[in-house]
Amino acid sequence: MARRSHLYGVALLLVSCLLSTLAFAQQQPSGQQSSPAIHNDVVIKGGTVLTVTHGKIENGSIYIHNGKIAEVGKKVNAPAGATVIDATGKFVMPGIIDSHSHIALSNDVNEPTSPITPHMMMHDAFDYSDKAIYRALAGGVTTSLLLHGSANMIGGQAVVIKHKYGLGRDELIFPGAPQSIKFASGENPKRVYGQKNQLPSTRMGNFEVMRAAFIEAREYMRTWDDYDAKVKKGDKDATPPKKDLKLEALADVLRGKLLVQIHCYRADEFLTEMALAKEFGYKIRAFHHALEAYKVADKIAANGIAVATWPDWWGFKYEAWDGIPWNAVISAHKGVRVALKSDSEDVTRRLNQEAGKGIHYGLTEDEALKAITLNPAWIIGVEDRVGSIDVGKDADISIWNSYPLSSTALVDKVLIDGDVYFDRSLPGLGLTQYKEGQ
Amino acid sequence: MLKRTLILLVLVATAAAQSKKPKSPAGVVNSAAPAANETIALKGGKLLTITHGVIENGVVVMQNGRITAVGGAGTAIPAGAKVVDVTGMTVYPGLIDSETHLGLTEVSADRMTNDELEASDEIMPHMHVYDAFHAETALIPVTRINGITNAIVAPASGDTLPGQDSFIQLAGASATEMLTVRDIAMPLNFTGQQRRNQNFDQAKFPFTRMGMATQLRQAFIDAQDYEQKLAAYEKKKSSADEKERDRAGAPPKRDLKLEALLPYLHGKKPVVLAAEQPNDLLTALELANEFHLKVILNHVTHSASLLDKIAATGLPVIVGPIYEQPKESERYDAVFSMPAKLAKQGVKIAFASYDAHQSRNLPYAAGYAVGFGLPAEEALKALTINPAQIWGLDKDLGSLEVGKLGNVVVANGDPLDVKTDVKHVFIQGQEIPLVSKQTQLRDQYWK
Repeated sequence: MARRSHLYGVALLLVSCLLSTLAFAQQQPSGQQSSPAIHNDVVIKGGTVLTVTHGKIENGSIYIHNGKIAEVGKKVNAPAGATVIDATGKFVMPGIIDSHSHIALSNDVNEPTSPITPHMMMHDAFDYSDKAIYRALAGGVTTSLLLHGSANMIGGQAVVIKHKYGLGRDELIFPGAPQSIKFASGENPKRVYGQKNQLPSTRMGNFEVMRAAFIEAREYMRTWDDYDAKVKKGDKDATPPKKDLKLEALADVLRGKLLVQIHCYRADEFLTEMALAKEFGYKIRAFHHALEAYKVADKIAANGIAVATWPDWWGFKYEAWDGIPWNAVISAHKGVRVALKSDSEDVTRRLNQEAGKGIHYGLTEDEALKAITLNPAWIIGVEDRVGSIDVGKDADISIWNSYPLSSTALVDKVLIDGDVYFDRSLPGLGLTQYKEGQ
Repeated sequence: MLKRTLILLVLVATAAAQSKKPKSPAGVVNSAAPAANETIALKGGKLLTITHGVIENGVVVMQNGRITAVGGAGTAIPAGAKVVDVTGMTVYPGLIDSETHLGLTEVSADRMTNDELEASDEIMPHMHVYDAFHAETALIPVTRINGITNAIVAPASGDTLPGQDSFIQLAGASATEMLTVRDIAMPLNFTGQQRRNQNFDQAKFPFTRMGMATQLRQAFIDAQDYEQKLAAYEKKKSSADEKERDRAGAPPKRDLKLEALLPYLHGKKPVVLAAEQPNDLLTALELANEFHLKVILNHVTHSASLLDKIAATGLPVIVGPIYEQPKESERYDAVFSMPAKLAKQGVKIAFASYDAHQSRNLPYAAGYAVGFGLPAEEALKALTINPAQIWGLDKDLGSLEVGKLGNVVVANGDPLDVKTDVKHVFIQGQEIPLVSKQTQLRDQYWK
């Protein structure tokens, strides 16, 4: 009897474990079990394919195998059993990439308690159930760089996501994407800390706190180098220095392990940021917002730094006063790799229109298309994986009902890794992996 | 104390130094530069007349500020007219933005350059945007070279009654010329966003929708009372009976706030009634009916469930911003598709940018609404003839018709498309130079 009740207790425990597992699964936008682990062969047929890297293919086809683009061309050799997506009369382009976003961070965009917070990991705030991910997906976005805000001179480390809305948290993380870190400059840090009567409250203070942080990080690296040297010499009494998350993160910047993404508006500040990077020996990946890039575009280009900007935002603060809609075209023509990004839960849903505005203000159609695909992919460091319709790349593809860089074009379908995640013709939200109420 | 004064002085000095920056650069005045009496003929373009169809290879003649001829290729061009060849271009009436804050802001983050809202009380109908309108703002040239020629300037929506709108023309030698209709309408905002603070511990009336509705009702009752007292005084004062005249006493003390409400009590002027969600729309409409207000609806972004009811009122709607996020449970296009849904019900709609720096992007919102089902002609009407009618100005604006003002735009494509570039803008028949603070910077650096 005693034994039996013990067994009964184990059974109950098992059941309750199972129930709690189920309950956990139900809290997610969809059960993990619906993850499309096995990718079907897919052929997208008959559309105008905007490849980004090798022009436009009228009546083109894309064969997708195992989530990757296997063939692109007028004709492809797909197996007979492949799922066919008829794109006749439609436009097919890579999924849009947003290189500056703060969606899905549970409103925890800034840790505004110190101007130097390189050890904040945006992954810790990532809310994979945020509907903003869905709404961007419905606008054709497949990859986003979710950045720390601009309150701090050195903010936290970003998370790169694919918009597989409806799947579990870890399945939305872009596998193998390099780690980016957010820096800022100008009005935001000086305002945030100046209001508290703290350093920095000026641009002098801004750059001083950065310099001081990197000097401290160098010192920290030296203590580790000393320790490593002792160990190498066989010193068994060597004690390791204490690991410091903040200095470790800064050291990673100096070691070149992180892609440095800098919020920066003014021409003089691009120059100072570039000088600082040179002084401490790290590389800048991109200037973000960068409304005055056109004033020093040749210098930005010479340093191999990209620019992630808006096509036409301006005037919302002093450092945005000289923003002009020709910033993208002037910068591009002086050799800068230019991306158009959203920095907005609204605009991320219609980056195709932002690219269209790029054309309005002088970009070619190809340049404008690149500005929302391959160039932001480069900024994020995933240009070998996404951003164009090329063999071997992830099958992240958006299908549009008309030429996408326009006011009126709508997304019909979005595929990520070869699976359809959004389909406008479906009832409800138009999602394939999300079940309402689950 | 001295230190504080010094800091204050420094702040003031900084503000003064900074406030120099946003002024229009030399050479760009907001007036239309060329000779006023020049006759201009636009020849060879595709005319989107709005009210009488599309005319291919057409002619538009403007003389003395007005359109004097619109027609096909054979239309007579007066001798001596300056002929502008617009072959391959699209010609359409100047676009009307039905809510902006143009002239009330330069640098959004700098309070010293912002006059959008008097936030000291929720009921501020006696605020007049014309008192703050900055005719030399750098934003107007930026906006008009994208084809927007007229706009409503409204105070920001933070008060229930934030003041009175003016209708402007985006060119003129001075504020006087640009403010073409002062106090054209009064916003009545009921979106739940007008309460003063949302901190329960520091709650101050009105803290709730109950509070805001009650406060608003009381304001109109006070205005009715004021009106009665004025009338009673006038009646006594103008009485044939001398004793009665003596009894009139002193006139009621003039009250600017209540006085400002009087034209609305009898529907002489419209209120622009802003509500987003269904319950707010119903509450606000009931209030408007109670006081017999003449209503133009605004926003209705989340009220798709009341489409029938909105249509049944017969009221026009300024719809948007369509970029407003849908509710959490809604489909991604719930708000994008509102203009199409309203138009399908026969509701007269107009678009607004609800912005200042980005007012130039007004036509793209209409274009996006076309993507979500609004017929293109309806979208263009919602930027031209519909707002002209809604604001009572269709005698002068909203279409390419003889007798209307020469507010005409020439562009290299579909007016609603993001790729389209505006090539000529005429306001009152005068060509506006395609120059702004931004084109000057472009020309300085694009070498």
